[in-house]
Amino acid sequence: MSSLVLTLRETLRYRGAVGQWSWVLHRLTGLGVVFFFILHVIGTSWAVFAPALYEKEIKVYQSPLFTLGEFALTFAVVYHAFNGMRIAIFDYRPEWWKHQQRAAYVVFGLTILTLIPTFAIMFSHVLAHYAQAEIIILPIPTIIEAVSPFIIGMALAVIAAVVLSGVVGLFTRNRDMATNTGRGSRVERFWWSYMRVSGLLIVPLVFGHLAMVHVIQGVFHLTTADYVIVGTTAVNQSGTVVEFVGERWNYLLAGVAIWRFYDVALLALVAAHGFNGLRYVLTDFTMSRPLLRRAAMYACFIGGAITLSIGAASMIATIDQTAVQIAAEEQCRLAQAYSINAGDANWNPSQSDLFRAACETAEGTLPVILGR
Amino acid sequence: MDVTVRIRRFNPEAQNNKKPYWQEFTLTNVDETDRVLDLLHRIKWEQDGTLSFRRSCAHGVCGSDAMRINGINRLACKILMRDLGGTKIQVEPILGLPVLKDLIVDMEPFFAHYREVMPFFVNDDPVPADGRERLQTQEDRERFDDTTKCILCAACTTSCPSFWANGKYVGPAAIVQAHRFIFDTRDQAALERLNILAEPNGVWRCRTIYNCTPACPREIEVTRAIGEVKLAIQKGTPHGIIQVHEIKERVVNS
Repeated sequence: MSSLVLTLRETLRYRGAVGQWSWVLHRLTGLGVVFFFILHVIGTSWAVFAPALYEKEIKVYQSPLFTLGEFALTFAVVYHAFNGMRIAIFDYRPEWWKHQQRAAYVVFGLTILTLIPTFAIMFSHVLAHYAQAEIIILPIPTIIEAVSPFIIGMALAVIAAVVLSGVVGLFTRNRDMATNTGRGSRVERFWWSYMRVSGLLIVPLVFGHLAMVHVIQGVFHLTTADYVIVGTTAVNQSGTVVEFVGERWNYLLAGVAIWRFYDVALLALVAAHGFNGLRYVLTDFTMSRPLLRRAAMYACFIGGAITLSIGAASMIATIDQTAVQIAAEEQCRLAQAYSINAGDANWNPSQSDLFRAACETAEGTLPVILGR
Repeated sequence: MDVTVRIRRFNPEAQNNKKPYWQEFTLTNVDETDRVLDLLHRIKWEQDGTLSFRRSCAHGVCGSDAMRINGINRLACKILMRDLGGTKIQVEPILGLPVLKDLIVDMEPFFAHYREVMPFFVNDDPVPADGRERLQTQEDRERFDDTTKCILCAACTTSCPSFWANGKYVGPAAIVQAHRFIFDTRDQAALERLNILAEPNGVWRCRTIYNCTPACPREIEVTRAIGEVKLAIQKGTPHGIIQVHEIKERVVNS
């Protein structure tokens, strides 16, 4: 801990050039993206395993707090992507080092240039959403309740990693694994290359993903009935996010479930890249504390494996009509409870523009046919 | 001009307060061509004889007086008032090594990392028949010319956030020294050095922050040297090493 405090304080005090701030920002954006990635992968797996929870989760994502977070996330992804490319270029061409400062400024410029139109479109989605009369606004306690399982889960994972590290420490008391020879070096060599190659592969995938779900369709339109689902020819009949995900994963282009492959590729690349990056950050500050260093490595390895398996399992499974119906029931219920019209006794979500499709799907009067 | 010098003091033998503290000294008649080292001398000689710092040659060759001056690592003997601008100077010890007294740090951990990379010439072949030096082409000498300039002042290593965070990281200076031998075609221990630097606390702790390059008083392209060692490890061989035997043959034939 003292190592972290010292490094943070002295990084602020040392008058290094722009590269130092690029490094700080690269780490902060990376940590932010990993954190949201865990939330998002496990959350999306609920489309399969707990459709009602996922429907609620998306209402959380549509809350003002998470809208702010969405803008921050988009910045983080874009900056991390461009800066990562800068790092990779100068790693493979160290003789170009004289241009690295200019490159760092170019990265800032490219980030801003990319974000201006992106934020403009995203903001227009926000304005359009709040112009509607009947939207659901979840109260803060409900949002905290919905997010707390993740926070508790991550905290438990950290505690488990420390305990495991303590137990392992008891058996390997006289051997410091940091000074191992041979094996460790091959592993680090692999990860160094992996971070750079996977980073370059992730950039087009993650930009495509952001463009589709956050810019073109927008988070608010994930639950809009009769809206053509981005990247498919299907229409969201029930207006549930579960149907949105189901339609995308079922969509076949020339007989291939392209979005399933796309998401699996993105998931696998990002899980390894993100959790290894997290390991870099954590082990940098714990190299002289064997207990914490091992705990950091276990947490990253196990966390990565769990996130990857849950995400992969949800993509192998299929979302069916039952799942959509459960989600529709939840959305109709949330509308009843938390719409800004909820206090009005004459208001009925079944007759509202926004929630009619969901409520009718829930009642069974609107039969949803997936893969139509 | 009048100059205020703010110095980070630490006295391990103090009676009561052993914590580091800042102390300000005011100097009059300072020229813009005075070095920071001159200012430190004047403080020690004229105002406070207890002020402790290292210096030896005082001309940027021995590398004794690396310190953090106005937030950046430099040699006190190579930096003039003119270079700093302004009349306020802040001087503190380089970071990441234990402070012994005032501006003096314990360099032993730094030298320990230096020794880890086998910083000496290895060649077990018999001496050339004419009994003179092992010949090398000018291009091959040029390959590592930059990294021969290191004076082991530790300015680069102690400017590195990775080293601040983790004192077990070998640090830029040790990698520069390794680079000097790894890319020397006459040397035969390149692979051993690459193996040492491929360890988790070797080159991979470098996050290409580029603090080390401007910190070097000898203008060595430090981050570039580290990058070249990383690539040599990835390839399993440095450029040039493969050509060792060709060169020997060339030299023998000529």
